[in-house]
Amino acid sequence: MAPLGRAALLLAFGLIAYALVAGSYAAWKRRRRLALSAQNALLAAFPATLVAAIVLFVALGRRDMTFVYVWQHTSHKLPLGYALSAFWGGQEGSLLLWLLVLTGYAGLAVWLNRRSRELIAWTVPVFGLVAAFFAFMLCFVSSPFNVQPAPADGRGMVPSLQNPYMLAHPPMLYLGYVGLTVPFAFAMGALLSGRTDERWIVATRRWTLAAWTFLGVGQLIGAHWAYVEIGWGGYYAWDPVENAALMPWLAATAFLHSVMIQEKRGMLKVWNMVLVALAFNLSLFGTFLTRSGVIDSIHSFAKSSIGGWFLAFLGLMVFLSVALIRWRLPLLRTKTKLESLVSREATFLYNNLLLVALCLTILWGVLYPILSEAVRGETRSVSKPYYDFFLHTFGLPLLILMGIGPLVAWRRASLRSLGKTFIIPFAAAVVTGVVLLALGFGSSWPGLLTYTFSAFVLASIVLEFVRGRVAAGGIFRLIARNRRRYGGYIVHAAIVLLAIGIAGSSAYQTQRQAVLRTGQSVEAAGYTLTYLGSTGVRGPNYTGFRALVAVSGHGERFTLHPGMNAYNIEGPANEASIYHDPRSLGDVFTTAQVVSAKRGTIALKVLVKPLINLIWAAGFLFVAGALIAMWPDAVEQRRLAARYAAGAAPAGI
Amino acid sequence: MGSSPARLVIALSVAAALAIFVVYTALAGNGVRQLTPSALAGHTGDVSLVGAVVGKPRIDDAYTKAGMRFQLKDIGTASAARIPVVYHGSVPDLFKVGRHIVVEGRLRNGVFVAKPGSLVTKCPSKYAPAKSAKT
Amino acid sequence: MEWALALAAMLAVVAVVFVARPFLRDPAPASDLLDELAPEARERLALAEERDRALAALKELEFDHRTGKISDDDYRAQLGPLRRRAAEALRALERGEHAGHERVTDPGQHVP
Repeated sequence: MAPLGRAALLLAFGLIAYALVAGSYAAWKRRRRLALSAQNALLAAFPATLVAAIVLFVALGRRDMTFVYVWQHTSHKLPLGYALSAFWGGQEGSLLLWLLVLTGYAGLAVWLNRRSRELIAWTVPVFGLVAAFFAFMLCFVSSPFNVQPAPADGRGMVPSLQNPYMLAHPPMLYLGYVGLTVPFAFAMGALLSGRTDERWIVATRRWTLAAWTFLGVGQLIGAHWAYVEIGWGGYYAWDPVENAALMPWLAATAFLHSVMIQEKRGMLKVWNMVLVALAFNLSLFGTFLTRSGVIDSIHSFAKSSIGGWFLAFLGLMVFLSVALIRWRLPLLRTKTKLESLVSREATFLYNNLLLVALCLTILWGVLYPILSEAVRGETRSVSKPYYDFFLHTFGLPLLILMGIGPLVAWRRASLRSLGKTFIIPFAAAVVTGVVLLALGFGSSWPGLLTYTFSAFVLASIVLEFVRGRVAAGGIFRLIARNRRRYGGYIVHAAIVLLAIGIAGSSAYQTQRQAVLRTGQSVEAAGYTLTYLGSTGVRGPNYTGFRALVAVSGHGERFTLHPGMNAYNIEGPANEASIYHDPRSLGDVFTTAQVVSAKRGTIALKVLVKPLINLIWAAGFLFVAGALIAMWPDAVEQRRLAARYAAGAAPAGI
Repeated sequence: MGSSPARLVIALSVAAALAIFVVYTALAGNGVRQLTPSALAGHTGDVSLVGAVVGKPRIDDAYTKAGMRFQLKDIGTASAARIPVVYHGSVPDLFKVGRHIVVEGRLRNGVFVAKPGSLVTKCPSKYAPAKSAKT
Repeated sequence: MEWALALAAMLAVVAVVFVARPFLRDPAPASDLLDELAPEARERLALAEERDRALAALKELEFDHRTGKISDDDYRAQLGPLRRRAAEALRALERGEHAGHERVTDPGQHVP
């Protein structure tokens, strides 16, 4: 079986290498049949990779310990679902997943746009270059198909990975990361072919939106996972691995906005190229961060088998991106100017600057330990206060811009008409601010500002819907006829809910910790938690305890069961117990550890986190809005087809 | 109109962002020093110590007055340096012998006294979908 | 594992055939040149995009005015220039159509 997988990967590598080399030559020398042949090679790479993937899935499902990879990441007792999810649990498998998704996306994107022959001729080798790296690594450096004489049992899976999130979180993230390759490849294809029109944008708009949505949802799933599983009571720790996904997402957000300006005004062509290259390279960097251990220290990086390769490839792609943009700079420059600093273009520009600034400060925070070690010889790191500061500095203006943007007209907005449209949202914000201040929310100024700005934005979004509904004659007609705009507003509303949830659960959370004997209580934010005693628990691969905690307060009564599981192979793990409070949309989050088994005391930690469930609810609204924005519009598609008929129509999904 | 105001806006914003950044790092200091056990000797003051767990720590001791005791050694290199650590507070997920951890505190009379609750386990494998556990 | 090797070999053969297909189907073509937009066609495309932009801007101005986001004064002030721009773009497009010769390959591609 393993030889089949190896052979399939070699075949994929051969096809991809051909697509890269022959494709480049064909595009350069304008050879039609060779270009088509290279395109076919790229398309064929997906089934080849799929065969390799199936081989690995089957081996994991059968717990075939002759595969080193299967032995490393599963065990016989591991439930089937988790054994299959071990596909992306290790380095080799994740590389294979990257390649699988990449060849799938590339094949589909190229196939749908095959009639744009001039553009595709150059897009194929760009896809080929990226895929060639992963295929090369899989064939010659880090293969999932190494074999060994089968040991008795495998090394098992880390317990915190054994839950349903493991089935969803990494694939979602990969669908996002890899998805950003599509706009990148088309953008570089456009540069290489010297085409300065918008075909590449039209072809990839929905791809970018989809990838961005997957990346966002993947992060939310990861945050929820960390919250319920890891047990420290938070959902985001500014860990480099978490930042690895946030940075490309921020860059992609900026790109999604600035691309609208190019479509409407023909401006910012260079900026868009820079952003799409930034988003793609950051997603490569993110994959690299999670793989190479470079953040631990340069020493552990050097020990990683693929760190060096990844860094070299990343350097190559950054260099090529910069070189290509620099080369085509004269073609990209336009004469269109920003007419007014008070216009929707300008707010989009500010939004972009803030997003990129936030992205770069996070990048700096991630790189700082490496740089300080390289430069000074000692590792220093930044921590939460650094990230919080910049999140507030750049995030709060971003929040309010979401409310300002829709109210401002394109090109130029007179201050007088601005005043009229601003009045209601502004009033909503002021009222909210004053009321909250009176209720004592001034204890955290970032929290208060977040809530106040959120009121402004929500009011402005609601007004958009109200005004639009009157003009269009019905809310469904309104949305159906203006999918991008109103889908976008729904996404904005989701982001606002996200902001409110984050502010509530961090700025206004209550934390208490106490060592309790049976019968003792601790008080937190109006809840009284009483420790009633512990019971032992046992599972297929663990033993542990659960503390019985009776909670009362705010007119409610419930029990929680925090505790710990001690896994045979992998060690101890916290099992948090959470109560979702419908009254405050918040949570009562508890963890417990044994202090003294003899005296029967436990250490109970309680976190009361208001509004945290808004974060997860926001995720659903986010997806709904994105789907609406992505929804194909027959009228628009016909118009675009006619526009590009002279050369061939683009076929964005 | 001469050159686009867009350029001016971008330039000013970049300058502003850089200014904010510089002011912040000047005020907030240069981050926390992160050391390995072999490099710890002679450093007084609060540092962050990163290493692999050695010894026989008993998690239950973390809440006693004596505290949980273990040693830390360098990750990766074969250095013989072993720093004894005494820790109070909640112990995060996955803590066990051999795990890579980060703990804050300071060196006192040859023993690293950890700040209560500051122990963080790093992810055990290079692939890290589960973030390091904070307490 | 013979069946596995046979499968791999079969896959390789199919892949090679697929890759060679353009050459097999068309061994002696009239022209092997990759389609390329002539400079006039590129001009036209740029003009078409400009026209679409102007028309879309007009539509949006209309919508913003109807929903009350733009005052009557602002609307009137912007309507004139935008209409002129759209008219110019349309005229430039028509000029281009009468002038150059482009080979229109497949008009009105179905866009899925």
